[in-house]
Amino acid sequence: MNTTASVELTGITKRYRGTTALEGVDLSLRPGITGLLGPNGAGKTTLLRILATVLAPDAGVVRLLGRVPTSAEALAEIRRRLGYLPQEMGFPRGFTGFAFVEYVAVLKEWTARDSRHEEVRRVLDLVDLGDVATRRVRALSGGQRRRVGLAQALLGAPDLLLLDEPTTGVDPEQRVSLRQVLSTAGERSTIVLSTHQTEDVAALCDRVVVLDRGRILFDGSVRDLVGTARGRVWLADAPDPQARASWRTGTGRHRNVGALAPRGSEPTEPTLEDAYLLLLGGRGQTTGVAA
Amino acid sequence: MSAGLLERPAAPAQTLALRSLAALEARRYARSPLFLIGVSLLVWTTTVATGDLAKNAATADPGDLDLLPAFCLGLLGVFVGHQLTRSLDGADEALGATPSDRVRRTAALCLACLVPGVVALVWVGWMSAALAMWRIPLSASISSGARAAMLLSGAVCAVGGPLFGVLVARWTRFPGSALVAVVVLAGWTLLSTVSLAQPPSRSGTFLHLSAPFTAWVSMDSPRSAAWVAGGSPGWYLAYLVLLCGLAASAALFPGSTGPRRTRVLRVLGSLAVVAVVCLVLAVLPDPARIPL
Repeated sequence: MNTTASVELTGITKRYRGTTALEGVDLSLRPGITGLLGPNGAGKTTLLRILATVLAPDAGVVRLLGRVPTSAEALAEIRRRLGYLPQEMGFPRGFTGFAFVEYVAVLKEWTARDSRHEEVRRVLDLVDLGDVATRRVRALSGGQRRRVGLAQALLGAPDLLLLDEPTTGVDPEQRVSLRQVLSTAGERSTIVLSTHQTEDVAALCDRVVVLDRGRILFDGSVRDLVGTARGRVWLADAPDPQARASWRTGTGRHRNVGALAPRGSEPTEPTLEDAYLLLLGGRGQTTGVAA
Repeated sequence: MSAGLLERPAAPAQTLALRSLAALEARRYARSPLFLIGVSLLVWTTTVATGDLAKNAATADPGDLDLLPAFCLGLLGVFVGHQLTRSLDGADEALGATPSDRVRRTAALCLACLVPGVVALVWVGWMSAALAMWRIPLSASISSGARAAMLLSGAVCAVGGPLFGVLVARWTRFPGSALVAVVVLAGWTLLSTVSLAQPPSRSGTFLHLSAPFTAWVSMDSPRSAAWVAGGSPGWYLAYLVLLCGLAASAALFPGSTGPRRTRVLRVLGSLAVVAVVCLVLAVLPDPARIPL
């Protein structure tokens, strides 16, 4: 596996009309899958847009795939090796799934018709849309449209793949199928997966970055983040007033997540979601294991 | 589930990448319902009108037809060019992360605007053949070159309309901007005809010829004699071609950066100067109208 950094961000700051979206973010990413977690407005999408070269930071240095995206040539070089699925994606009226992905393939400079068609079919098959490729995108379900968006991002097996909420609206079976696709891609590419689905991050990512209010709150392995919640999740027959969060599970018992499990309680194995909740609950204190 | 991975294409020459994209946009243009309606309208009106010409060759006024491609393909083309440009707005963020930047995408759209131009050229060929076949002379005092320029003006408008649509789509964001553009274009054309109600003059000819969708021949009217407007059809044609260049360059401006922006600005400035010169040259000849 290539171990040179595909993404190097130093002191990235971005503001929108006085609101700080990112503040002095430093990040270095290598091939593999990195999960990007954070509450709404944390700066995840802004970070992905900067990585996708569609947004320039106000301050800081961006280095992607060994190049600084300042000149038109460097931008084009980076974009040739980049795949990007934005959070929201509209599709033009009248386009079929195949036609849309082919359009993007042309923009990605697949000029030879035969190989372009072959590549479009490949990525549509990867996301299990081969059989509905000739249907108009607007006639597809939300989950299928999301997969059309993912297919265009996968064109040409990009070295840097940026996915903003790729599994929104996708059914569980398809999510598992997409995990297979992404885990295979992650063996050679650098993938950044921004999501609210902690189970996707737990299942796929070897590294997780938690953003909050434009700053990195945690940067480390999923195991390390989960480890921070050990001894802080417990089961009880009733909601524990000391818990930061508490909910009734399917077994009828209450899962409590808090600062510390009380004595005599029944501790249970924490999940990434528990750790994430605790981390955000204790915002202000940087838990950065590997940061 | 998975298939063999294809080699990612090496960076192609700029022209090759643009050509592939332009071919795709041209196919989108050719399949646009509004364009197909425009072509049907052109075929239908031409068929009806040339039928009349064949029956009344001695009294017919074929100059009336010159503007058909301008209206059927050009005016409707404003909507087509605009719609094609804006149709991908929803995917703009994903498309913006590809090596084909906005300037290349706009250039491809501008090249696709040649599609109605090709149809209009076929129409010009058909009209020329029809006029020759039925021996319909416009006027003995109009040269064949001037007559060809009049016919071709309509064909250039068929390209200019869609280019204007692309330009408006790239510069404006408000809903209904294409309709506003068409109203402005139609209003400009109507305003230019005001001068034709006055006795011939250079200022009147200037106003008349400054509009891009201008007819050279007066419409058939039982109340007035038919005539051909004063001015030079050849220079007017050159002026229209330059307006097309101006529209394309102005459409390329948003999204261009650095030295490319400077180049686009220079081209815009040069085209504007040459267009004004061509308009002046079109107005310079005798403004007197030629009776038919």
